[in-house]
Amino acid sequence: MSIKRTTKIVGLEVIPNAREVLCSLYNKTLSLLAEMPSKSAYRQNTERIIKERLKIVSTETDDNKIESIIKQGQMEELVDKAKRECSLTEKMLVWEPWKPSLGPPPPGQWDWPV
Amino acid sequence: MSYPSILLILFVQELINRREKLVFYMLILPLRVFSRLKPICFSRYSSIVFRNSLTLSTSRGKYFSGNSLSIYGSFVQEMLPRFVQQTRLSNEHELEILIDPDGVIPVLMFLRDNHNCQFCQLLDITALDIPTRKFRVKTYTDELTAMDSVTSLYTSANWAERELWDMFGIFFNDHPDLRRILTDYGFEGHPFRKDFPLSGFVEVRYDAEVKRVVCEPLELSQEFRKFELLAPWEQFSKHSRL
Repeated sequence: MSIKRTTKIVGLEVIPNAREVLCSLYNKTLSLLAEMPSKSAYRQNTERIIKERLKIVSTETDDNKIESIIKQGQMEELVDKAKRECSLTEKMLVWEPWKPSLGPPPPGQWDWPV
Repeated sequence: MSYPSILLILFVQELINRREKLVFYMLILPLRVFSRLKPICFSRYSSIVFRNSLTLSTSRGKYFSGNSLSIYGSFVQEMLPRFVQQTRLSNEHELEILIDPDGVIPVLMFLRDNHNCQFCQLLDITALDIPTRKFRVKTYTDELTAMDSVTSLYTSANWAERELWDMFGIFFNDHPDLRRILTDYGFEGHPFRKDFPLSGFVEVRYDAEVKRVVCEPLELSQEFRKFELLAPWEQFSKHSRL
């Protein structure tokens, strides 16, 4: 098996152990999600997609096969998305978007354009 | 009673695998106007609009089958009930997500980073000044429009927010370099505000006596006239609520 030299995407470097990195990122995100209330749609929806990805990544060992199953680009791109999801989850624990609305809009605010 | 409001519009582009065709989105974002003196102008809410048909970054999950914008709208609403007030479709089939102004950064970061969103490029931010009949929006430099800057999320927001500051006088918190960008040094006022006269405040001409270009207060031979611009028919069709 040949060594991957480039991703052919500017600014995106090759990660030799992308599968392990992905696994750890998904696990970290899941552990962060576990701190959210279990009934919140945010946690349920995000957990579902992360668990699905984690299952694929942990069962398959071939990078090409993982890429063809997930169909979201190369492993490095998946790592990029996973990193951003992870940092987002950290922030969301502070913002708590599952809580009830901050308040109703003033009457007539959304009637424009009339 | 409706308040005069300024809507903020952001254009965000989704990157699908970085190679495939790019889809354009337009986001309208919320804006908070705080007046220190009296409530001359404030708008607490605005909206996010997604333009064009939606091809999303994942075909997995029950939310993204087919081309269903409205389902996607309810997905975002379900995910962020704290910040999203309402989602609706315009007659042009644009999805609008109406959010609380405190939720700009959370919602935008969600749209950028979540696996089901991936809106990675901000194309533009713009605003609309909508005064009502009872109020006129007055522009003074001490009348601050506080709004969280999204420059930390999208670097392209930098100039767009400077333009908004220049044209509308919308103040952005935490902006690294909030200067005027389009108008001249020492320019006064914000030209896109409704209280800014069409003719402006000053005129520039060449003065033969002093042999240079001079800038003087505007003098018009005719006073400002008010035109009746209201059309007798309905101008916009209503949005359909999801």
